[in-house]
Amino acid sequence: MGNFTVTIRKKARYVDPGLCNACAECAKVCPVVTPDEYQMGLSSRRAIYIPFPQAVPSSYVLDMEHCLGNNPVACGKCAEACEKKAISFDDRDQIVTREVGTVVVAIGAEVYDPTEMDDYGYTRFENVITSMEFERLICAGGPTEGHFVRPSDQRQPKRIGFVQCVGSRNPRMGRPWCSNICCMNTVKDTLLLADHYPDTRSVVFYQDIRAFGKSFEDMFQRSKEAGVRYVRGLPGEIHEDPRTHHLIVTVENTTSGKLERHELDMVVLSVGLQPPADLRKISSLLTLSKTSDGFFMEAHPKLRPVDAPTRGVYFAGMCESPKDIKDSVCQAGAAASRAGALLNAGKVTIEAITSRIDEAACTSCGVCVRVCPFGAIQWTKGTPAVVVEAMCAGCGSCAAQCKPGAITMRHFTDEQIVAQVRATLAQRPEEKVFVFACNWCSYAGADMAGISRMQYPASNRVVRTMCSARVSEEMVLEAFRCGAPVVLVSGCHYADCHYINANRQTVKRVQSMWAKLEKAGVRPERLQLEWISAAEGQKFAKVMRQLDELRRTVTPEEIERSRKAFKPKVRRAAAEAATAAPVPGTAT
Amino acid sequence: MTATLERFRCMACGHEFQEVVQEDEDKERTCPRCRSNSIRKLKKAAEPAE
Repeated sequence: MGNFTVTIRKKARYVDPGLCNACAECAKVCPVVTPDEYQMGLSSRRAIYIPFPQAVPSSYVLDMEHCLGNNPVACGKCAEACEKKAISFDDRDQIVTREVGTVVVAIGAEVYDPTEMDDYGYTRFENVITSMEFERLICAGGPTEGHFVRPSDQRQPKRIGFVQCVGSRNPRMGRPWCSNICCMNTVKDTLLLADHYPDTRSVVFYQDIRAFGKSFEDMFQRSKEAGVRYVRGLPGEIHEDPRTHHLIVTVENTTSGKLERHELDMVVLSVGLQPPADLRKISSLLTLSKTSDGFFMEAHPKLRPVDAPTRGVYFAGMCESPKDIKDSVCQAGAAASRAGALLNAGKVTIEAITSRIDEAACTSCGVCVRVCPFGAIQWTKGTPAVVVEAMCAGCGSCAAQCKPGAITMRHFTDEQIVAQVRATLAQRPEEKVFVFACNWCSYAGADMAGISRMQYPASNRVVRTMCSARVSEEMVLEAFRCGAPVVLVSGCHYADCHYINANRQTVKRVQSMWAKLEKAGVRPERLQLEWISAAEGQKFAKVMRQLDELRRTVTPEEIERSRKAFKPKVRRAAAEAATAAPVPGTAT
Repeated sequence: MTATLERFRCMACGHEFQEVVQEDEDKERTCPRCRSNSIRKLKKAAEPAE
C-alpha cells in the first residue's frame, strides 16, 4: 500500500505530438486504406490517422501494423508531406517506471460480439446491426454524417426493430448478468429516430425495461408517446427476404400470448457488456478478486463500493460492473477522493489483528503464501515466510492452514480460540450446538436474529473468529473431542467475504474434514457449513432450529466415538509457547 | 475453458444432485431442495472399463 512501482510501456506514435499541428497532409498522401475501428468498420481510415475526433493530444499517429514499412522505408510519403517534420520512423516503444502511492483501475468493459448468436443472423444479413453500429450511423460525426441508412441499399429504413438483452441475462450462454445500460440506450435511440425521422416506426422486443435511474421513466414514457411499440418477448429467429433484404422477425408476445410476425427494414441488436479480456492479468498483478460475472469485486458492496480489497487500489467505471456515464463519473470522482485521502493521510494505521510468523517454527513450505488472499506473505523457497503487516488484513487463513503452527494471529491465537471451545463445552456438551461464526456476517446475522426477537432453540453456543477461514481443522476436532454433537462453521456469502475470497479456503477445509470424519467412523453430517449474512437473522434462526433437530439424533455412543477418534495434535509451536514468553501484542 | 459434470450431496438433507462446473468457476453452492450450503462434492464414479 502506498508503495507501488509501475512499469509502463509507452507505445511508439511515430509522430511527435509537440510538432504535429493536425493539418492532415500526411493522411491525404497515405496509400493504405484499412477499416476504421472507431466507426465500427463502417468506413475506412489511412495508416496515419487520428484515432477519433476528440483524441488528446490532437495529433496523428502511425499504425505500424498497416503501414507499408519503415525498415527499410518502403513508402515514406507521409514524412515527405509533413512540413513540420514531425514524423520519425525510428520511434520505438519506451519503458517508463513510476513510483506511485495509489492505483485507480479503470480498464472499462468490452461489448458482446453477437457473431455466435446465429439465430439473429448478424453475420448473414447486412441489415442486422449492433447498437454500437447504430450509434455510428446516426452520429453526425459518423460514416454517413448522421444520415441513417441501411447497409444493403443505402436507403433510409422506415421500420426498425430493436432486440434487447443480446448477450445479457442469458444463463444458458453463461451470461446471466444484466448489462445495465442497454434498455435506456435503446429508449434513447428510439427517441433519436422519432426526432430525426418522424415517419419511421420502431418496435422494441424486450424481456423487461429497466428504467430505474433519474428521469429514465420519463424518457421511457416519452418514447412510448412518440409511437414506439414495446413488445414483451425476444425473437426466436430472424429471416431475410432475399429479394428485398427485409427482415422477418417471429416473436411470441408474452403479454398477449400470441405469436407475432414483424416485417422490418432493419434490426438493431442491443448488445450487452462483458469484462475486458485483460481483466485477469490486471487482477493477478494487483491481487484483485472477481464476482461470478467476471467483473472486479469491490471491498464491500455497500460500504466500500470504490475500494478494491487490496489497499491503495480503487475502481472507476465499467470494470467493476456495467454502468452508464453518470455512474462512471460518480465512481471516478469517488475513487479520486479516496485515493487523495490516502495520499494525504501521511500515516496509515494498520490492522490490530495481523499474523506473525515464528521463523524458528516455519518449515518454509509456502502453504501460507498460497492461501493469503492479500498477497501479504513474502517467501522464497527454502527460507521462512515473512508477513508484510501493512498488507495483512487479519483473516487468519494462513494460521489455520499452517500445519507446524508457526503462525500466530494477534488477539485471535489458536490457544485463545481452543480455550473458548473447551470452556463452552465443559459442561453438558451433548446439549449444545457448537457454532463458529465470522465476525462480519454470521455473528451479525445471529445478532440480527436476537434483536428481531426471532425464536430458535437456546442450545447454540457461538464462538467468533474474524473470518470463517480462521477456523482450523484442529479447532473443529477439539469441539468434537470435547463432546460437541454438532459443529457449524459459518461465514459470509461468497460475494460478501470481507477478506477478498478467504472463505473459499473454508470450503476446501470443510470438504477435507468431511472425508476425515467419515474415515474415522464419525457421521460427517455432524459438521455443517452455512453462509449467513448480517441481514439474514431469519436464516440464522432457521439453521439453529435444523441443527438442534440434528443434535437430538446424535446418540451418546456417537459422541463418545468422536471424543476418542481424533488424538490431540501436539504442535511444536504450542509446546514451545507453554514455556516461552507470551507473544507481544497478544492477550491470553 | 472446460466444464465437467460433478456430483454433490447436501449434508443437511441428504439430497444428491449433479451440476455442470466450469473450470475456474467461483460459485457459492446451495442445495436445490433445502437451500443449505453444506454441499459435499462427491468423487466421480469410476469410468467403466472398455
